[in-house]
Amino acid sequence: MNGAQHILEAFRRHHIDTVFGYPGGCIMPLYDALVDDVGVEHVLCRHEQACALAADGYARASGKVGVCIATSGPGATNLITGVANAHRDSVPMLVITGQVPSALIGTDAFQETDVLGMTLGIVKHSYLVEDAADLPGIMEEAFRLAASGRPGPVWIDIPKDIQLAEIDTRGISGPSAEPEAPVDISEALAMLRSARQPLLYSGGGVSLANAEEAFRAFAESSGLPAVATLKGLGNTGPSHPGDLGMLGMHGSRAANRAVEECDLLLVIGARLDDRATGRLDGFAPNARMIHIDADAAELNKLRQADIALRGELNSTLAAFTQAMEAQPLDIEQWQHQCRTWHTTGGFHAADNEDPYAPIIGPAFISQLSRITPDDTVIACDVGQHQMWVAQHYRFASPRHHLTSGGLGTMGFGLPAAIGAQFADRSSTVINVTGDGSFMMNAQELATIRRYNLPVKLIILDNQCLGMVRQQQELFYSNRESQIDLDDNPDFLTMAKAFGIHALHINRNDQIRRGIETLLAYQGPMLLHVAIAREENVWPIVKPGASNTDIIDESQRKRTANKEHMA
Amino acid sequence: MNANTQDTPSYQIYCRMTHEAAALERLCQVVRIRGFRIAKMTMESSGEALNIALTLEGSRPIGMLQSQLEKLQTVVAVVLDNELAEKRDIA
Ligand SMILES: Cc1ncc(C[n+]2csc(CCOP(=O)(O)OP(=O)(O)O)c2C)c(N)n1
Repeated sequence: MNGAQHILEAFRRHHIDTVFGYPGGCIMPLYDALVDDVGVEHVLCRHEQACALAADGYARASGKVGVCIATSGPGATNLITGVANAHRDSVPMLVITGQVPSALIGTDAFQETDVLGMTLGIVKHSYLVEDAADLPGIMEEAFRLAASGRPGPVWIDIPKDIQLAEIDTRGISGPSAEPEAPVDISEALAMLRSARQPLLYSGGGVSLANAEEAFRAFAESSGLPAVATLKGLGNTGPSHPGDLGMLGMHGSRAANRAVEECDLLLVIGARLDDRATGRLDGFAPNARMIHIDADAAELNKLRQADIALRGELNSTLAAFTQAMEAQPLDIEQWQHQCRTWHTTGGFHAADNEDPYAPIIGPAFISQLSRITPDDTVIACDVGQHQMWVAQHYRFASPRHHLTSGGLGTMGFGLPAAIGAQFADRSSTVINVTGDGSFMMNAQELATIRRYNLPVKLIILDNQCLGMVRQQQELFYSNRESQIDLDDNPDFLTMAKAFGIHALHINRNDQIRRGIETLLAYQGPMLLHVAIAREENVWPIVKPGASNTDIIDESQRKRTANKEHMA
Repeated sequence: MNANTQDTPSYQIYCRMTHEAAALERLCQVVRIRGFRIAKMTMESSGEALNIALTLEGSRPIGMLQSQLEKLQTVVAVVLDNELAEKRDIA
């Protein structure tokens, strides 16, 4: 067995049935090995960035390690954004790149780049395989590292000669993960019981730890009011009575108010990102803090916790749940207060009764949420539409919400949707995108067509880079700079050129039919939704300001320019 | 641009790493991105290990850098000079 065959064999052994890649000179031996029936489906995307983002979407939706493959040089550099995206959101990923033959490394050979050096800051770990005998051990270690502790991308750069070298695979056995010692929660429990206004603050760490069920059981048994970060949406499930939704820059008034008023913040699987906390010295000013995370480096990083617990979330949450069931918390008044805030200051997009009114983003997303089945996966892009989804779509599980949180990568949504569709061929997967983001990876329509994936696409087209326009309006005296996209291509014709059915809507009374048509369609389909150019995401906290300094529509400095309405 | 190092706290830190490709680059990258400057660095390889002594300057909490360095797969141990001093005091 040569190195290339060994790599594929390792995929099989680790139950990786789908990989996303793009061939080229230095990865030819691996592609040659793929010609044989190896039990691994290779998905050819049309750009390496999309390979990495599709692997990311696959991993987020399935909980498995996502794998992407590329050649040396431009193949590897094209992967970088996608790998950085996975790194920032702690997504388990294995990246395989071909490298020039060992003897040519350092000679400026054709398509040589220093992949190891270039990617140090965006990987959990990386390897340049220098000896064929090391390959089996490196593959095993890489799989383990990618998925364990705080997950992340692991990159293996493999010179062409090593892919061709004979490999001795006898006695391969991955080091088994050591069970973690249980966390002592007694102090944290005492602090929780002594609080009068405790608040649950959860993030992406819950699903990364595969701890959704344990988290939900704890949320239910404790009855704690709960706020979530962008990546924590769905943690409490669709019907937790204390769910206040997203906090932070585009969070609800209710969620930010609860953080301001709480006397104890129980942070679970979240890293206190600045988009969530706003200015730190104004964040949860009256609260003590218990912080539970798998990554020790996140504890006390930005705010000193009163109690910091590093540990495995499932067992830690189970211990909390047991304690709650034995002796429930007495926080009825606080629960009532939070529910009142939610009623008056939660996200409730009003439906416009006027059938001829132009479509407004939040109202569209609200309807989408009501119409789609519970297990629909929404893969977002980046911008206003992403925030409207976060605000107005009710997620039953965090795995149903694929969003680029840490890096905010425009172009994420379409390849991520492809990855999610491969993770479960029978699920409903919708890419909600903007006209700017869509064009960043539009070539992937060809991938959808090639594999006949029933991915649905919704372009909320405001003819501009809406999120940038909004910030220019609010924070740069409305001096619009390089945000106009009124020369967009005809998206319907474009979709048709890729063999994808498409429909256009622009009026309020077309929303429901448009969404129902999309969902009922058997294959891939694009719904082009013309929306008002001037619509903003409300509320908003100015970057760097405190979450208490919320700006909402009533404070908008100027009225929308009706001429631009779609 | 030269930072004014006059009032910037300085720390001694010792790091033991495995001698893998890019081990030192990884270390230096984390030190830089987490807000510290290397004022002095000595290194010695012994078998599979690299022993590195660093004098660092930076105004962020050094404990934060320590926990970030400990996350590197190639890092075996990170010890701060004051921890060494404490250990010596206890002994
Ligand atoms: C790759 C990349 N480039 C630039 C940005 C900065 N950026 C953030 S949102 C945004 C506008 C997005 O426009 P669009 O996709 O049309 O969505 P909208 O805000 O209009 O809903 C830009 C340019 C980014 N996040 N990612």
